[in-house]
Order: sequence, then structure tokens, then C-alpha cells
Amino acid sequence: MLAPEQLALMHAEIDGELDAAGRAELARVLLSDPQARALREDLQRVCRALDSVPDVEPPRQLRERILAALPHSSAVRRASWSAGWRYAALIAGVVSAGAVVLETVRGPAPAPSEIAGTMGAPAGALLDTVQLTAGPIGGRVSSYRTPSALDLKFDLVSSAPVDVLVTGGGRSVRVNGLGSRVGLPARVTLPGFPADAQTVDLVFLIGGHRVGSATIRAAAKP
Amino acid sequence: MKEDADWTLVRRCREGSREACDQLVLRYQKPVYNAALRLLRNPDDARDATQTAFMKVFEHLADYNPQFKFYSWIYRIAINEALDTLAARKPFEALTEEEPDEAAGPERLAEGQQTGRAIEDALMQIKPELRTVVVLRHFMHLSYHDMGDVLQLPEKTVKSRLHDARQLLRQSLLQCGTI
Repeated sequence: MLAPEQLALMHAEIDGELDAAGRAELARVLLSDPQARALREDLQRVCRALDSVPDVEPPRQLRERILAALPHSSAVRRASWSAGWRYAALIAGVVSAGAVVLETVRGPAPAPSEIAGTMGAPAGALLDTVQLTAGPIGGRVSSYRTPSALDLKFDLVSSAPVDVLVTGGGRSVRVNGLGSRVGLPARVTLPGFPADAQTVDLVFLIGGHRVGSATIRAAAKP
Repeated sequence: MKEDADWTLVRRCREGSREACDQLVLRYQKPVYNAALRLLRNPDDARDATQTAFMKVFEHLADYNPQFKFYSWIYRIAINEALDTLAARKPFEALTEEEPDEAAGPERLAEGQQTGRAIEDALMQIKPELRTVVVLRHFMHLSYHDMGDVLQLPEKTVKSRLHDARQLLRQSLLQCGTI
């Protein structure tokens, strides 16, 4: 069994922080202890493996999304930015990348409780309800219209967290971490959702895999 | 010098230059995104954590003290944001941990060597505080001193965590035959 200070010498060697005295001490340990030699080789392999992992390019849209969520130049001059922009940025943060239109929410920022995960009942008029009865997800989704937004209420029950891609009116929003064994409801508000959009498509994902889909009305029946 | 250039950009950004803000994003989006990705594994979570981290950076730019390195400051915000994301999903982690993330983007496919996958698996098995030091050291290539600055911990603690993390990764990678 190696002493902690001997182990520290190995790590220091890997990190290029070993002085001459340390190198001599490590050489002595390695010479006399085959287990120490094996451990040193293992640690070197671990670090080579870690260092060999290549960097990943960030998504192309990331920079645009960050910049789109910034206030315009007059507001930038303020020493401290308003919290409202943060919430607008959070909304922008769930607009998914891909073929759909990327859009930054402008205008009055919603309260953080409106973004997702709240349990209160939506205040708007009920438009539609879809029951989910097949597959690994149970429960229902309801849509509500308010003068300024579309509300979706998710009452999902599943054995694992469910992510939902919500697409409609030229926008797409991804809502992560819905559903659970206890099935707490969650409400998602989509501010500025176009009044003329008739339906919203919902794609349900578990562990990144598509497990089901549904369409729900986003406008009242004519 | 990079730190001087950072400070120039920060000052211009404070004065309202969107171009300077853009330059800061360009300069730091890749390391911040990669750190978040290695901590969280999920590319969507990493993207959202990166965006939120940048928004916090710009929101608090007036509070930045130029006596400290800008990259330590931005990395600290990014790491904290990623750890917050991790903490928020903790109750569900056990359900998803065993499942491979097949929804990764093309960048993941290009990266997709077995070693990389095994390392990701092994990283996700260790505690976030240990994973964080591995990310800072091996993926962001920070010195012990800078890691201490980012994490606001003594170098001794940083070293101790890094050594523990490497030992645990060794066991895990030996077990799966990667090393």
C-alpha cells in the first residue's frame, strides 16, 4: 500500500510539478515497488485518455441566442441589467435549434414562475385536452388561451423524466424534466404565441428517445 | 496579452459596445460550453447552462474586478451554473444514468470513440465536485492556482480532489477495459 505522499509524487509528476528531490524520491519508490510502477502507469494512462478527449464545437446558434438576449446598446450602459432580460433569456434558452425559427421573446418579460414547472391552474380559457394512454407516458395535456399567451398544462405520469418538444406557430420550445412517478402537474406559458396558429405539436422524449407525439388545439373551435 | 485584451473588451462592453460583447462570447463560448458539457453530459443542458452563464456574466459585468483574471471569473460563473443545473436534476439522475445518450448531435458522433464514451461514463459516476476539478484540469487545462481561483478553494484541496478523482476514474476505466 502506497503512502499518500508517494501517491502525491505520482500526481505531481503527471502535472509537471515535480522538483528534483521529488523526482529522486519517486524513482526510489518505483524501483523498489512493482505495485507502485503499475499504479503510476495506470494513472498516466488515465490522464492521457482524459487529455485525448477532443473539444466539441458549441452549437452554431448559441452565440446568436446569447446576443439576441442582450439588451440594446442604450440599456447596456446601465451598470446592472434588469432581471427581466434574464427571464427573456431563459425563455430564449428553451427555444430549440434546428429547422424551426429561432426567436427571442421580446416585450414584457414573464415572471419566472410562468416559464415551467409551476403547479397552479392556468387562468385562460380551456381550448383542448389530449389524453395520453399508450406508451410509457400516461396523463393528459391541456391547452388554454389567455389574451397574451398560450398556456399548456402537463399532467404527466412516467417512470422517468420526460422532455417535450412543443412546436407551433413557427416556434419550437423544449421543456425538460416533466413527469415523474408522482405526476405533479406543470404549466408552460408561451408568451406572444401567434393567435392564428391552430394547433401545437408535442413530441415526448425519454432519455433523448422519442416515445410518442400528440397534437393539441391552440385556438378555439370556429 | 490575453488578460489585457479581455479587460479592454470588458470595458467596451460596459460602455455599450455590442461588438465587444460579441467578441467576449466568441472568445469564451467554446471553453464554457465544453466545461458544461463535460459536467452535464447532455448537450441541450450544456447549451442552456452556457447561455444562462453568459447572461449572468453580462448582467454582472459592472461587478467584475479587473484585479482578477477574467477567465477565472467567467469560468466560476459557468461552473456554478452547470452545477446548479446538475443539482436541479439530481432526483432523476439515477433513472437516466445507465441509459446512453443517443440524442447527441453530430459533434458527438464525430467525437464518438469508445474511449471518449468510456471517459464520459466514468466521469458521470464520480461526485460533481470531483468531476469539476477533472474538467478544469484536463479539459480546460488550468493550473492548480487557477483552479483554486475558479473554485475559491485552497490549492491543497484542489489537488486532493483531483487525486481522488483520478483514482476513481482509474478504477472505473480499468473495470471497463479502457486502460
